[in-house]
This record gives sequence, C-alpha cells and structure tokens, in this order.
Amino acid sequence: MIEIYTFVSGPLAWIAWSVFVFGSIYRLVSMYNLAKAKDGSSLAYMSLPYSLRSIFHWLVPFGTLGWKSDPLMTIATFAFHICFFLVAIFLGAHVVFWDTAFGISWWSLSDTTGDIISFVVIGACVVFAVRRLALPHVRNVTRAKDWFALLLVAMPFVTGVLAYHQIGPSLLMTILHILSGELLIALIPFTRLSHALFAVFTRSYMGSEFGGVRRVRDW
Amino acid sequence: MQKTHIRQTLAFIAVVAALLVVYLAPAALSQDDMTMVPADAFGVLQRPQVAFEHDAHNEKAMLDDCVVCHHGRTDDGLMDMEYSSEGETCESCHPVNPENGETPLMRAYHRQCITCHTDEAMGPVTCGECHRK
Repeated sequence: MIEIYTFVSGPLAWIAWSVFVFGSIYRLVSMYNLAKAKDGSSLAYMSLPYSLRSIFHWLVPFGTLGWKSDPLMTIATFAFHICFFLVAIFLGAHVVFWDTAFGISWWSLSDTTGDIISFVVIGACVVFAVRRLALPHVRNVTRAKDWFALLLVAMPFVTGVLAYHQIGPSLLMTILHILSGELLIALIPFTRLSHALFAVFTRSYMGSEFGGVRRVRDW
Repeated sequence: MQKTHIRQTLAFIAVVAALLVVYLAPAALSQDDMTMVPADAFGVLQRPQVAFEHDAHNEKAMLDDCVVCHHGRTDDGLMDMEYSSEGETCESCHPVNPENGETPLMRAYHRQCITCHTDEAMGPVTCGECHRK
C-alpha cells in the first residue's frame, strides 16, 4: 500500500501536471484555430478595454444583471471558486506537502479555517447539484458531462475532509484524495472544467461584441 | 555466628545492588522515556503531537546504529552520516524559524520519518497516520 502512496504522490503527480499543462496548451491552440476558421471576423473586433470592462463587472458579486437574477447561485459560485483556490494553495497540509517534498514554503490557513472552507466548497457543490435537478431550465440542458465535471471537482474535497477527520483508513483515504486531485488536474482541459481555461476568452468575446458592435453593456 | 550472618546479609545486598546496576544501567541510559516527538518548540500545534516510542520503534525497525537518525553535520552544514549527534536535540541544529539556511525543524522531522518510511515501505507516511486525533 505504501508503494501505491509513493507512486501517486510522486510520478503520478508529475504525469497529472504534465497532462494538464500540455493538454491546456493543445486545447487553447486548437480552440483559437477553430475560432479563426469559423468566425474569423470576430477576432478583428476583439478589444482589450471592452474585454477588461466586462471581466471586471462579472468578477463583482451581484455586479451584473446575470448575478442578480439568481442570488443563491451567485453566492454559491463565488464561495466555491474562492474557497477552492484557498484550499488548493493555502491549506496547511498542502503547504507542508510542498515543504517536505521541495523545501519551499508559504503562508497557510489554520487547520480549522481550512476545514470550514472545505465544507463550504462541498456545500456549494450540493447547491450546484440541487440546482441542476430542481430548476427546469437548468435540468433541460444538463448532460452526463456536467455531472461528471461536478463529481470530478467534489471528490478531492470529500476525500480530503474524510482524510483530515481520519474517517476510514488514513493511508487509503489519503491515496484516494491524491488520486482524485490528480484526476481533476489532468482532466481540466478535456471536460466542462475547461471553463477554467476559456472563461476569460468567452467573457472577452462577449464584452468586445457588446461594447464594440452592439454598443450596449453586457452586465 | 552473628558475624557470619551479617556478612552473608551484606554480601547478598551487594550482589543484588551489583545486579541492579548491571541490568538497569542500559535502561537508564536508553530512551525508554521517549514516547512523543518533542514539539514544544512549535508553540501552538495545528495537529496532535506525534507518538514515538524510541526503543520500541528501533527494536521493530531493527535499528542499532544511532547515526541513522541522529545524523551529524559537516563543516559545510550538510548531513553527516559518519558523526552521530545523539544526546543533542534536533532543534539545536534545526531551528523552527532558521536564519542561516538550516533545514527548519518541521521539515527535518517530516523528511526524517517519511523518507525512511517510504524507502523501506514500512511505517506511517500520511498526515493522519502520525498526527492521530
């Protein structure tokens, strides 16, 4: 079992990050080529000021009509994304892992704070799931790949909380936690989670079109 | 008659005392009382302190050579596996917040235990296996 731990915490992590980096480059390049081939003229209208204006407004909770129309989703999505990155980068155990492996260290959250915001992430995932089931206009456009993306992102948090609270065998839970995290990292470019790569460009596209062509706000 | 009796009693006490010294000295000199990894230097702990029974661990791990864990330090400040530092605290070379490029205490502890356990594929390696609630 320790051999499995050594493998998932070592070589498999390098593989997962490589798949993420090269997969992301591949997806971004091929999407750019697709946009150029199918909608070449739109590229000429891409504008940095209109893009930034749109991105800025959509980064503010309740700063847009879209955010105002669905307050629970707005709170859940902001809480989810902020807590997701806080946990991934600043969780005490994660910082200790980098410290032990590479001798690099940075500020970290207290264990209690990390625990609480991990539950916030899981709670937000529940909101996303219930929303997909309860709201007809969301249910009707929900496909298997949407559930898969949600499962992918929820698993590292569920296994992480179980490992932290020492529910189940510690070694097994930690292995499952690392595995689910690696699966998430590696599959970001190839699933609905690719919005992590594309969101800034889709927002820029909308901002540029609404600002430069339609001459109206897009928030 | 009386004298012989006293002499016999004294001889018996002397033998018992000698045996006590012979059998108890190693125990007194060993780390039998070491049951936890020292953690006072950290101040407030985020996780439970790590249990470590020095003698039981070394018997199980078949460790006779102190230097395997109690490594020394070369003049260049590197790990010295020839010179044993037993008797000195880890913290004396590994401050919690080093100022001169030493390996910090927490990193030293984690690497000391986890590296050996993964190399030997034996013993605890994950957070919860050592920092038990």
